[in-house]
Amino acid sequence: MSIITISRGSYSMGVIVAEQVAQRLGYSIISRDLLLDASDRFHIPEIRLIRAIHDAPSILERFSHSKQAYLAYIRAALAERASGGNVVYHGLAGHILLKNIEGVLKVRITADMNYRAAREAEREGISVDEARSILEKDDQQRRRWTKSLHGVDPWDSSLYDLAIRIDHFKVDDAVEFICRAVESERFRETKKSLQMINDLALACKVKAEIVDEFPTLGVTCQYGNIIVYTKDKSHGSKLHKHLEAVRGKFSGIYNLEIHSAAVFPPEAV
Amino acid sequence: MPIIIISSDAVQSAEQIAKATADAVGYECLGREILPEIAATNKVPVDKLEEALGKSSSPWRRMRAKRRSQLLAQIEAHVLDRLMADKIVCWGLAAHLYVRGVSHALKVRLVPDSQQEAGRIAKQRGVSEEKAAKLLQTDVRKQAQWSQTAYGLNELDPTMYDLVINLGQIDPDESVRTISGAVAFRKFQPMTYSIKCLAENAMAAKVKTKLLATMNDISVQARDGRVVVTCKALKRERQKKAAAIKALAGQVEGVEFVEVHLINYVIREAAESFR
Repeated sequence: MSIITISRGSYSMGVIVAEQVAQRLGYSIISRDLLLDASDRFHIPEIRLIRAIHDAPSILERFSHSKQAYLAYIRAALAERASGGNVVYHGLAGHILLKNIEGVLKVRITADMNYRAAREAEREGISVDEARSILEKDDQQRRRWTKSLHGVDPWDSSLYDLAIRIDHFKVDDAVEFICRAVESERFRETKKSLQMINDLALACKVKAEIVDEFPTLGVTCQYGNIIVYTKDKSHGSKLHKHLEAVRGKFSGIYNLEIHSAAVFPPEAV
Repeated sequence: MPIIIISSDAVQSAEQIAKATADAVGYECLGREILPEIAATNKVPVDKLEEALGKSSSPWRRMRAKRRSQLLAQIEAHVLDRLMADKIVCWGLAAHLYVRGVSHALKVRLVPDSQQEAGRIAKQRGVSEEKAAKLLQTDVRKQAQWSQTAYGLNELDPTMYDLVINLGQIDPDESVRTISGAVAFRKFQPMTYSIKCLAENAMAAKVKTKLLATMNDISVQARDGRVVVTCKALKRERQKKAAAIKALAGQVEGVEFVEVHLINYVIREAAESFR
């Protein structure tokens, strides 16, 4: 089981690289269809999920926590699909949605702004200056999104295992680097990595079930033991009832605890 | 033949991988061991050069910042001169920040294994691993601030490099194989234009070193033997300064023509008018 996430800016050839990596390794590819999955499963219009994963939260959204709810749905759908292994995900924020999971190769495809602007201008039939302005806004939006929701800068190279400047290499070269890297011992399936992704999938499912009512909760799962973290002690019995209903809904939950007024661990979803 | 430039916050990892890559591709390895040579040429202490390549930088230590830019210019001039020989793996000399527009330079960023680095810091400074992890984060932040102050570039930005490899996930042997494989690509073969760009970078650095010995806030660009110097100056000293720049820059080998662009020192001008 290997999981590869490919993060990229618009017009950075990331899609082509992802498709060729998936084809060469015989992996399945997850992209925008993930949003359709989440949309079907949680009955949310796809456009809202697209906005949730693309646009930085507005001031109003920061109070209503609606983005957190949509993200929980997307993350639940991604974790479930990824738990089967042998997948390449090339949508937004894969390196963040699957963070702390062992055996996930996180790749970033970068390209010079001039190169990207020229490609966008050619494809959209607009001037290079217009294309550059669109791309800069898009990059800015993604940067704000990651910073506001996850507190990290997506342009920080330490977030990735491998970053490739695509305008300096050919697509085939990038594919070769990624395929060689994923063959290394660290990205092979182990009992631990399988357990981690299954635990993440379960934690995400639980979170997705309760996020509407309790958007500020954190959920962790270890070997099927779910811990729900809440900063608010008043959630008490209402949360308890909700969680009891959730326990019956999913198999694989051995124990379910609530930790009130506790500090969320970094792996909490 | 191409040149390989390796950048990393972990000096030991950078050195180890640079040497292994140099062995694998049969190149010369150029690292911090050349600092004594630079120190001797410029008659400065080696530890000052090491300090200039380090992290601390704050706006209220302006005097030190000026000194740092002099020392960095000396390192830059020397390293660029050595890189002209090509077939070199260069590490630990901040070359990724001043080798610009040179297509036959493969720039690689090695992200250190954070756990291993925290362990090393914990052992070295006698602190807990938790405290060491925080110190490591502070070090990385300071290093990014240093690159921003010294060269106006954020060295954490992955778009600055051809390849970024995380040593926490990709082992050193695989990293060496990846770098050696990448440098063989046609894109990194030297061409007349890229060699010319490197030579012009080297010439600009030599002129900058010469000028920074007596002046501040200098920017230098070189093209086809023509050097453009941009500098701040007070109105009353413009002519004198332009003449001095032309005389000094003209002493550098290969400089055929010097163009001086002087920008008004608005703040100092205003301050002097109130005296």
